[in-house]
Amino acid sequence: MKTLTFLCALLISASTFASDKYTEQMTKHIHTVYTAKTTEEYQAAINALDRIALAEKTKWEPYYYSAFGNLMLATNENDGGKKDSYLNLALAAVEKGKAIAPTESELIALEGFVHMIRITVDPATRGQQYSGMAFQSFGKALGINPNNPRAQALMAQMQFGTAQFFGSPTTEACGLANKALQQFDTHKSDNPLAPVWGKEMTMELLKQCK
Amino acid sequence: MKALTTLVLFAILIPAFSQTRITGKVTDATGEPIPGANVLIKDSYDGTSSGVDGTFSFVSEEKGPQTLLITFVGFKHFEQVVELSGKDITIVATLKEEINQLDGVVISAGSFTAGEEKRRTILKPVDIAMTAGATADIAGALNTLPGTQKVGESGRLFVRGGDGSEARTFIDGMVVLDAYGPAAPNTPSRGRFLPFMFKGTSFSTGGYSAEYGQALSSALVLTSKDKAEMNQTDIGIFSVGADVAHTQVWDRASVSGKVQYTNVQPYFGLINQLVDWTKAPESFESSAAYRQQVGKTGMFKFFVNFNQSSFSLFNHDILNPIVKQKFDLINRYRYGNASYQQALGTWTLRGGASYSYNQNDVRVDDKPMGETETGIHTKLVAEHSVSDQLEIRIGSEIIHRHYEAARYNEVLGGSEELSFSEMLSATFAEGEYYISNKVVAKAGGRFEYVNLNQSATLSPRLSLAYKPGKQGQFSIAYGSFTQSAQNQYLRMNTQMNPETAQHYIINYQVITNRKTFRIEAYQKEYRNLVKFDTANPQLISNSGTGFARGIELFWRDSETIKNADYWLSYSFLDTKRSYLNFPFVATPAFASAHNFSAVYKHFLSKMKSQVGLTYSFASGRPYHNPNRAVGEFHKDRTPAYHDLSANLAYLPKNNLIVYMSCTNLLGRDNIFGYQYSTSTNAQGHYESRAVRQAANRFLFIGVFITLSKNKSVNQLPNL
Repeated sequence: MKTLTFLCALLISASTFASDKYTEQMTKHIHTVYTAKTTEEYQAAINALDRIALAEKTKWEPYYYSAFGNLMLATNENDGGKKDSYLNLALAAVEKGKAIAPTESELIALEGFVHMIRITVDPATRGQQYSGMAFQSFGKALGINPNNPRAQALMAQMQFGTAQFFGSPTTEACGLANKALQQFDTHKSDNPLAPVWGKEMTMELLKQCK
Repeated sequence: MKALTTLVLFAILIPAFSQTRITGKVTDATGEPIPGANVLIKDSYDGTSSGVDGTFSFVSEEKGPQTLLITFVGFKHFEQVVELSGKDITIVATLKEEINQLDGVVISAGSFTAGEEKRRTILKPVDIAMTAGATADIAGALNTLPGTQKVGESGRLFVRGGDGSEARTFIDGMVVLDAYGPAAPNTPSRGRFLPFMFKGTSFSTGGYSAEYGQALSSALVLTSKDKAEMNQTDIGIFSVGADVAHTQVWDRASVSGKVQYTNVQPYFGLINQLVDWTKAPESFESSAAYRQQVGKTGMFKFFVNFNQSSFSLFNHDILNPIVKQKFDLINRYRYGNASYQQALGTWTLRGGASYSYNQNDVRVDDKPMGETETGIHTKLVAEHSVSDQLEIRIGSEIIHRHYEAARYNEVLGGSEELSFSEMLSATFAEGEYYISNKVVAKAGGRFEYVNLNQSATLSPRLSLAYKPGKQGQFSIAYGSFTQSAQNQYLRMNTQMNPETAQHYIINYQVITNRKTFRIEAYQKEYRNLVKFDTANPQLISNSGTGFARGIELFWRDSETIKNADYWLSYSFLDTKRSYLNFPFVATPAFASAHNFSAVYKHFLSKMKSQVGLTYSFASGRPYHNPNRAVGEFHKDRTPAYHDLSANLAYLPKNNLIVYMSCTNLLGRDNIFGYQYSTSTNAQGHYESRAVRQAANRFLFIGVFITLSKNKSVNQLPNL
């Protein structure tokens, strides 16, 4: 009997060990994506996340962070062509994530972020179309989870950018940024792998508001 | 008991002892190392990224036969089954390049494309809308590109020695009959479709795909926008009218509608016109577009347009200007276009139908004349990606046209009818083969049968492009093109054969991020052109011939001058024809040997404005002076054409635009040709009258407001 209990316990711990491996590995690579400095660091983390994504067929988080890594590479890139190819990879990862979790507010907000960075390649031509798509994604993300601080902050960023471009008042955008900042403090997710980025970006934005 | 526990523990620990080390190197086909490739054992976490020198090394805890997968952007996946038994494994992986149709070679001979998506396009949709002098007309903007000739009194596209009827417009693959609105004699007409409706414009000045027929010189292929992204209402109030548009968006569908009214009367009241109007042009237009996404990849598009325009004027006799003739026109136009596209694995199916109805109700001194043309076009195309290197496309279409004209017959004292119905069926097939990212070849053919004269034609099309380096590329193209004789000749003799043209094109182009250089040379041979004798116009035949050849240059730079963008186009054209009533081979009246355009746009962010300037030049055009001997047909040339136009868009608020434009700032009196009296005066001379601009300048002022939830949206891209 004791043996059986022991075996059972062992099996359970073995299986939790397996799922812990996911969390453990993810945590490690998420940390790299958040802190990477060089393209090589990003690339290594993205590759690792892509490997996990391929092995785990039901998890959206690896795709999310793979997309996030490519998005960061895109923002650091000056060449329009390369920027677009990183964004294509980011969008492809978001799409795969959405196939697993179609109503995940974080994924939809990230999709909007991809559209937003798309504009920077050629604002005059892409502005209208992609700003529309970005606003739509942020709106959708907030519709699913009104407390998603990243969706809120990105919406604020987008409004701020357009207001600045046209030289109109940024009060509404700054109001949103303040709201987002509060949500960063109050919004807690049960998911240990849930995204936590964006607070600094919002504080930067609020600095410009003053 | 203890033994068992040990055994179990041991069993769990075993994998730790049976790790397999996998080392190797990733290179491309030329042996260059690929850093950053993702190397992994499928369905496990095990793997690594290749280093700067392409090498990798990692340990896997998996056992038995497993799949090693190596991926890298721009290359095909590398897969190999490996046996993981604890023994070290060495892999040398050579990745095959993926055919990349975005940055790879593309066939560029003869074509200019404008799109939102691709960066490597020569013009963007916003360029078409914001080109000074074009007054937001697609043809107006394309007329600043090489290959076009300025024909100021027409407004249409005249491409490479071809006349205005030789350029055809297609929307979402479907033909548009009568793509230009009506215009008074010798005043420019405008395209019926506004640039903002389209996400992509491909303007081909020759050598185009076998998918497009019934165009001797040029195909203007317009791709309409997909589903709209947000609800908005647009209001425009301008010097010659007003419009209002609304767009409603759902999750997977959108509807937009627009109504527009224009009346030039108040404007003509302010600015003197050469034309003796009794009723200035007035037009009412409405259009609607519906978009529906179907499934994952399906898209249904539906578009309708209704237009009614009218005007009335007096034509004055050249010899005796007091004698005048009243000319009234009411034009009724309807266009409908439905198309559907669906991807099924490696296949894409698309099909559609279009309907055109154009009626010109003309009265000359209140005697009824006029014409009506109705066309129905149906088409089905299947595209198949055989591999990432080979793509084939086959399709079939039927274009049915019915034409009716009424002419007033003085002898009968009533109108007589001339009509015909033409049924054209065509089948085309085309293959595009990427030999590598450097070389692509496209070959195809188009078979057409016309029931009216039982003519069957087979038109081969061929093109090849080679990209030796990163940016520059060479293209060559050949194509045979046919087009039914124009309605006014076909109605006299329905047995007229199609006219034909052969195009030979060679092109070199360099596109960097923000600069484009392009040079193109071509030769074009015309056969079976309509020919008749002025004395006996009933004797009409296909015995006309002609040629056109030329060299064209294009330069665009949006990098050198900060916040500015400019392009320069030059075209040299040498063309002669023996057609219509020409007594012998001569240069047609619409052709000018030298055409030059300079377009400049500057964004002033502090003033929230964009200003644009366009200068156009065309050398003199031939005209016939009947006072000369027959042997001196088309010997004279008009003075050269010069035009400097400007526009200004000012955005005082996010959703408000003030737009102003003025053509011919310098007020030059451009002369397009001369008309001569039909009989001689007392001295035995034919008297002439110059064909001029109706007014030296055209001024346009408008205010455009956009109402939407998102206040940053404006109509700038629509202008």
